[in-house]
Amino acid sequence: MAAEEAASGAAHHGGGLAIDPMHQFRVETIFPIHFGNIDASFTNASLWMLIAAGLVTLLTIVGMGSRSLVPGRLQSVAELSYEFVSNMLRDNVGDAGKRFFPFVFTLFMFVLFCNMLGMMPYSFTVTSHIIVTFALASFIFIAVTILGFAVHGLHFFHFFVPKGVPVALLPLLVVIEVISYLTRPISLSVRLFANMMAGHTMLKVFAGFVIAMGWFGGFLPLAFMVAFTGLEILVAFLQAYVFAILTCIYLNDALHMH
Amino acid sequence: MPQLAFETFIPQLIWLAISFIALYLVMSRIALPRIGSVIEGRAARIASDLDEAAASKRRTDEAVAAYEKALAEARAKAHGIAQQTRDLLTAETDRQRHEIEAKLAEKIAAAEASIRKTKEAALANVRNVAIDVAGAIVTQLLGEDADKAATERAVDTALKQV
Amino acid sequence: MGVAFRLSTELVAGIFVGGAIGLGLDTWLGTKPLFLLIFFFLGVAAGILNVFRTAKQMTAEAERNAGNGKPGA
Repeated sequence: MAAEEAASGAAHHGGGLAIDPMHQFRVETIFPIHFGNIDASFTNASLWMLIAAGLVTLLTIVGMGSRSLVPGRLQSVAELSYEFVSNMLRDNVGDAGKRFFPFVFTLFMFVLFCNMLGMMPYSFTVTSHIIVTFALASFIFIAVTILGFAVHGLHFFHFFVPKGVPVALLPLLVVIEVISYLTRPISLSVRLFANMMAGHTMLKVFAGFVIAMGWFGGFLPLAFMVAFTGLEILVAFLQAYVFAILTCIYLNDALHMH
Repeated sequence: MPQLAFETFIPQLIWLAISFIALYLVMSRIALPRIGSVIEGRAARIASDLDEAAASKRRTDEAVAAYEKALAEARAKAHGIAQQTRDLLTAETDRQRHEIEAKLAEKIAAAEASIRKTKEAALANVRNVAIDVAGAIVTQLLGEDADKAATERAVDTALKQV
Repeated sequence: MGVAFRLSTELVAGIFVGGAIGLGLDTWLGTKPLFLLIFFFLGVAAGILNVFRTAKQMTAEAERNAGNGKPGA
């Protein structure tokens, strides 16, 4: 498989580095599915989304299988994630956020597992694609905005009106506030996507150095790669956490409008 | 950049929606209520165990208090019995002592009475003997019988001077 | 790296949204560079506002973490 990758990388790149660092992000169709004009082909991205969803299900259902009073290993992990997200939601939104717990939990676990699975060699990182992160972030943004209007009605527009500002400046500041509000889905999705992509690209670039520098020179980039892989695992967790906590903060804004 | 391959967007979005919604349904319908109930069950169990422990502690404290009270009562009772016994014994001893003393006093009185009687008898005898002796001495010295009445008077006078 | 990246994302996102709105208005109203220029600067302002807010929030988070030693909670 490494040979395959190297070969296709070389073909794509036209020589130079043995490995194309962007090759890992390519979406490849496993089997094509079409509904009329709509392409719903099952790709490697689809595969890893299903694997992530499947593993989360496995952890939370099979892990909790015994439902014992004194938890085993898997059960501890499942309970720990439950309480982690539950605390996050309570700290940032309060009791009003309880309704959204299943959503935030699903979001956090899905993103976390997609990020973590991406750390495996030969896997595909679902969250390294802007379209995926942007879809998640847009959904959150639209849902939260609708929620804000549902809870506060037209009063929600006050969210865009800063307090204690001269009336003359108000129209300008309201426009700026609206633009600032509209950047939320972009910064949310770009942050996750860029972190995932940058880390993985770096790893592949250094992997290319290991091969290019051969048996003697390759140890330095290899050592760097080992350290960087550890860092990347941390980043994978941190980005899932940031994604979830920002969702909580947006929820809080919509519910409580400080 | 493969991220900008637009033809892959639609299938990615479709499968994202499928997997995310499926996961959401499984989590919200099955997994999370289950984990929640286990955690709540454990919290309830711990709370009830703590309550039970507190109740046991209270019962122990009560038992200790009851024991100490019983001990104090027993001690007081023992003290009372000892006191009572001591009083009883003292009273009995006193009574016996009084009895003996009374008896002794009686005996002393009887002895004193008999001594006095003997003494009186002896004194009476001494008078008679003195009268007889005095009569006899007078008879011997004068050669005639002494006047009995005069002798008796003389002896009485002499006895009063003793 | 994380901090700088997070802040620059906020700024770029603001400019991006401002530019997109300006471009949209221009194509709609046929006033080619006018709204693009206006909203570009508004976008920069919104971006700076976002950077400011994010920085404040990050400081608060850091202080909270230093306070109770709990990761981000």
